Amino acid sequence: MSTPHVLLGLLADGPKHGYDLKRAHDLKLPRAKPVAFGQVYATLGRLVRDGLVVPAGQDRDAGPDRTSYELTEEGRNALKEWIAAVEAPMPHLSSVLLAKVVVALLVGDADQAREYLAAQRAAHTVRLRELTGVKTDAAASLSDVIAADFGIAHLDADLRWLQTTLDRVADLHREVTTR
Amino acid sequence: MSYLSARGLVRSYGRTPALRGVNVDVEEGEIVAVTGPSGCGKSTLLHCLAGILRPDAGEVSYRGQRIDTLSEGARAALRRTEFGVLFQFGQLVAELTAAENVALPLLLAGTGRREARTAALSWLDRLGVADLADQRPGEMSGGQQQRCAVARSLVTEPRVLFCDEPTGALDSLAGEQVLGHIVRLAREQRTTVVLVTHDVQVAAYGDREIMLRDGAADPTGLGTVAAQR
Amino acid sequence: MKPGTLVRLALAGTRSDTVRVALTGLAAGLATLAYLAALTVIAIPTVNGGGRVSPQYRPALIAEAGLRPGVVIVLVLLTVPVLALAGQCALLGAPSRDRRLSAIRLAGASPGQAVAIAATETGLASVLGMIVGVGAYFGGRALLHRPDADGRLPLPTDVLPPVWWIVLVCVGIPVLAMLFAILQLRRVAVTPFGVVRRTRTRAPLPWSGVLIAVGLVITGSVMPLERQLEDESRNSGVLLVVLFVGLACATVGVVAGTGWISYATGWLMHRFGRRPAALLAARRLMADPWNGSRTLAALLACLVFGGGAAGVRSSFATQFAADQESYERSNPESGIIELRDTDFYFGAFNLINVAIALGLVIAAGGLIVAVAESIVSRRRAHAALVATGVPRSTLAKAMLWQSLVPAAAGIVVALAVGAALSQSLFGDEVVQDGFTLAVPVPYGDLVLLGAGAVAAVLAVVGVGLLFLRASTALEELRV
Repeated sequence: MSTPHVLLGLLADGPKHGYDLKRAHDLKLPRAKPVAFGQVYATLGRLVRDGLVVPAGQDRDAGPDRTSYELTEEGRNALKEWIAAVEAPMPHLSSVLLAKVVVALLVGDADQAREYLAAQRAAHTVRLRELTGVKTDAAASLSDVIAADFGIAHLDADLRWLQTTLDRVADLHREVTTR
Repeated sequence: MSYLSARGLVRSYGRTPALRGVNVDVEEGEIVAVTGPSGCGKSTLLHCLAGILRPDAGEVSYRGQRIDTLSEGARAALRRTEFGVLFQFGQLVAELTAAENVALPLLLAGTGRREARTAALSWLDRLGVADLADQRPGEMSGGQQQRCAVARSLVTEPRVLFCDEPTGALDSLAGEQVLGHIVRLAREQRTTVVLVTHDVQVAAYGDREIMLRDGAADPTGLGTVAAQR
Repeated sequence: MKPGTLVRLALAGTRSDTVRVALTGLAAGLATLAYLAALTVIAIPTVNGGGRVSPQYRPALIAEAGLRPGVVIVLVLLTVPVLALAGQCALLGAPSRDRRLSAIRLAGASPGQAVAIAATETGLASVLGMIVGVGAYFGGRALLHRPDADGRLPLPTDVLPPVWWIVLVCVGIPVLAMLFAILQLRRVAVTPFGVVRRTRTRAPLPWSGVLIAVGLVITGSVMPLERQLEDESRNSGVLLVVLFVGLACATVGVVAGTGWISYATGWLMHRFGRRPAALLAARRLMADPWNGSRTLAALLACLVFGGGAAGVRSSFATQFAADQESYERSNPESGIIELRDTDFYFGAFNLINVAIALGLVIAAGGLIVAVAESIVSRRRAHAALVATGVPRSTLAKAMLWQSLVPAAAGIVVALAVGAALSQSLFGDEVVQDGFTLAVPVPYGDLVLLGAGAVAAVLAVVGVGLLFLRASTALEELRV
């Protein structure tokens, strides 16, 4: 997962406490799953161990969790490398969605596969409408809109695939029943 | 009875059936997306609902009144006063400036030149293209033209706005802006919107989706209407 | 592109192109007929020596050698609007042809090749028309060869122009039609994505007024020049050229002036018009002011000649009256006698009037093509307007304004310039034996001509309305 690199990125503009990091993470990636405190501290521990981050000081009147951290030179380089590295485009064609359709067809029940696909499409459509609503909301921030766009584009791709698959299964069904 | 409804609509082009018995209900203030693959009859449905085309069979009623039986003149008057229509492209008059294009429906309704221009300018401003008021369509980008077209379709403050692939000719950001304007202004004015599109992203701007397939409504999206025939 | 390919592509048209092909062919056929007739008249030998008369013909216009050039000039002038019509047909943008040309461009043809294909289409249609025209010529010769009791012929059906003249006409007509087509297609850009009509939007300036004035001055100098050059036989050619230049200047001035008139009337209508129809018409006039010049050119040229002919006729009539009066003064006791065969002159003028009427009809044909073209090219915008509830009557009214306003203004100017030309040529009074007769302005004839032209324009708009009905069919929205 990319949480270590996201934390490195959040530290790029200056030292932060663990608590600040969690808040910044949830603000900048508003539609992602929120990160837990425990995970932030565990990750910071690993980053310190690898020499990418060092404790930068402590608030005198606070406990151990008020330690702030800053990037080392090594940490900056690691961040740069990570940003520059190209992600492999869909290295594995694996998805629960895909698996379900394949299995349903394996079982030989085209009707069940189609019903599942139709239900899944309805659910996708509802989610798509929700995210579109985020975009048209006057109060939406740029981060909100970008995150919504990301979801919309993926849902759009899924929906297209679902529709094509529905058509294919219908064709298959016709072939089977007319034979 | 719904605000706008169609019962058993049938319409053919020559021997090609475009609609074969479509039922549709649209409530007041709703934004309804009509989707389906190309050739499913969605544009024809929009044209019938808007009183542009007469169905071969079936009825269309608006606020409890049959409109498919009205004369061409009466339906033209209805489209001019109650309805707004927005197409993919090519609806602005090339020789008129943006402001004159937007003012045209008001002028047709008998509004004075000055008053119509003021209204047109305010609508152009609401769509963020006030600075283009004195340019002709040929001098604008596709997105700018389409915003002027939105302004023109809304300037009469219609109760129902019919959009046929309103962003079909635009890139995704320009399309998003146009759709954003339509949805925002429709909500402000409580305008009912019928939005025809083949694009699921565009359809997602609606509150509800009506799926068509082979000239008939396909409520489950199973796409089996043709298959089961 | 090989010629074979060119012809193949030019022939790719479908049934929807038949109207254009038929019109082009008709125009080419008429032109062929007119040219062959003119050549036949030129080919008439002057027998019977000194009298400069060919006695085998009944009509004086053909029998008298001195009058034959006039007949030839009228026939050749008639072909100008006819060929312009043939070329204009290339503009008649049937949607299917536009799509076909675009598709050919998309397949890799250059803009020049697309124009060549369109022009070849015109050329092929003209060949068809030319063949029909030649057939009609020879058929007519056989049918009309009817000597009367004295053995005189109504038409010169006994002479045939040299074969190579006929061949020249047969080759020349399609070539000329193609040249006119290319000229017309200058303003049309065939892009891979459709056919775009370019328009000049720059506001025209009233320079054409200067051209008209120059034309009037030149024609005014013809008579004084004639008095200077006494030796008539050597210099009549020079005088003819001077006269022709004057006429051409004035005619071009009137035609070009229509551009300015269109723009000015558009501006006025935009400024003072209240209704949407006036607004639409005004903006269209201002957006493409030269459209009026292009489409009305033939009509206005006819009217300049018509106005001029009416003026000349009035001059002649006054001259005859003066002769008569002068004779009566010197011989007060003799009764009323005819001094000259005035019927002959008025017969000739009537013939010219027929030619002008024919020219008006042909020009109206060209106008129909132009109006249909302008409607077809706006079909999408029109269909969208109708869909949004704009009544067809508003579009029809806009079309009426747009056609009639510049036409009416142009007609008035053309007739005025025509009448002024004849006045500047022959003066506005006849001085004879110490008394003076003013040449009356032939208001009756001018009004008749103007009314005829306005009626022609109205008829054209009426036909255009039929096109409008078809092109606002909402099926256009599906294109």
